[in-house]
Amino acid sequence: MRRLAPWILAPIAAVSLAACNNAAGDAAAPAEVTMNAAIAADDQFDTLEAVVENAGLEAVLNGVGPYTVIAPVNDAFNQSGAPDFTADDMAAQGAELVRAHLLPGTVTREDLLAAIDRGGADGATLLTMADEVLTFTRDGDAIVVTAENGATARLTGREVVASNGVIQPADGLLIGAAPAG
Amino acid sequence: MRNHTIMISALALALAVPATSMADTQGQGRGNGQGPAEQAGGDHGSAHGDHGNGRGDGNGSSERGQPAAREADRGDGNGHNGRGGQGRAERDQGRDHTPGNRVEVTRPGNSGQNGVGNQGRDGQGPRRAAEDDAVILHDRVATRGLVEGCPPGLAWRDNGCLPPGQARRLESDAGYDWLWNRSRDDVRYTYVDGYLYQTRSDGGLSGWLPLLGGALGLNHIWPQQYGYQPVPTYYSRYSGLGDRYDYRYANGVVYGVDPQTQAIQQVAALLTGQSWNVGQAMPRGYDAYNVPSAYREQYKDTPDRWYRYNDGYVYQVDPTTRLVQAVIQLLS
Repeated sequence: MRRLAPWILAPIAAVSLAACNNAAGDAAAPAEVTMNAAIAADDQFDTLEAVVENAGLEAVLNGVGPYTVIAPVNDAFNQSGAPDFTADDMAAQGAELVRAHLLPGTVTREDLLAAIDRGGADGATLLTMADEVLTFTRDGDAIVVTAENGATARLTGREVVASNGVIQPADGLLIGAAPAG
Repeated sequence: MRNHTIMISALALALAVPATSMADTQGQGRGNGQGPAEQAGGDHGSAHGDHGNGRGDGNGSSERGQPAAREADRGDGNGHNGRGGQGRAERDQGRDHTPGNRVEVTRPGNSGQNGVGNQGRDGQGPRRAAEDDAVILHDRVATRGLVEGCPPGLAWRDNGCLPPGQARRLESDAGYDWLWNRSRDDVRYTYVDGYLYQTRSDGGLSGWLPLLGGALGLNHIWPQQYGYQPVPTYYSRYSGLGDRYDYRYANGVVYGVDPQTQAIQQVAALLTGQSWNVGQAMPRGYDAYNVPSAYREQYKDTPDRWYRYNDGYVYQVDPTTRLVQAVIQLLS
């Protein structure tokens, strides 16, 4: 994994805290690093970083964007029984996985909470770059994401507001389960 | 400081009086389009309408550095040979007095991509606004932009275009196909060697698609049989693509291709490929505010206006009716 100097990480943490205090619609000051750099700098995204690189999507996460990535942490890949998306012959599958976790625009945690509250029991729906709709709901203080295929994940930790989008750590993969047998 | 240009159609002006207060100038535009088809695809000779083109006239001016609203007549258009036609109205845009910088907004209808008719998942019409220079971004269709018919090298047979050997291979060489299968689709997808194949319940092959990361992965030569469109000028400028590569758009992805070798050198951006049209309902999946950080101060949600981002544009939406009121360009 590529490492970033501590001076780069500091503004990410600071901005993340600032973003948490913003009401929906208020400006969320971005960090000066891209989503790709922020993912590479965070150990909990080592597998995601490798998947992005294997699929050839680094330029997407370094570009203007913006996007919001529902970012599976390492354990999400390890616990799901999913295939090795970092393998050389799994680049297309990895690209599809990334698209299924990527949303257009900048969606902060506060934006999500506001939308969920507006939606009531139905929660809030957001489209992915894989043309799938994710449904966001509350479970106590947690935000739960449910894909059309039934896969679920919880947003964990703190969001990272990068220069070209937002990273929302998640504890699961939003892909369908492998068929039995 | 970025300049922002707001295009409000005549329909929008009728539907959204508050939006007019954002305008400094007005102009006129009119247009109509027709969509010729390009031939592509397999040996059975099916025609695939690749994209539509259109022409239109518009004029207008704006104050430098100020948002500019434009009225436009509604235009009509048709796609030929593709299964669907696409109607759209052109928008004349004033931005820093830059000539020829027009935006077209699609009307309800149906557009063709590679011969496949397109309709939004929620029946909300075509899924991509066309843009300047009469270039239309490919719609990402409910069938995911698959090319209808037989893939290159496979002849049409009574039971489809899969020769027995190939059919057996698709059965045995599945590469985590479940990643692409969708409960809403009454078809099956199979991944083999960089391509996604769509098969019907009777086993016949009904479409194919080179995949991002597969046949359309980095350093792969662009498949000759697969159509693409140039990236519209607006999005190219918005995303700062430059001229290092030949940038191509296909099925929601912007690729940077070496013009000499035809090798894919960069995956530059992912797009939804959706069309947001003034007067139409906001597509499903935009419940949350998602405006880019740099524009949040200017475009905040209020009780009577929402703002949503998609593919380089910000859209003003009526929170009550969920109808799109205005299309806003974000240009740097």
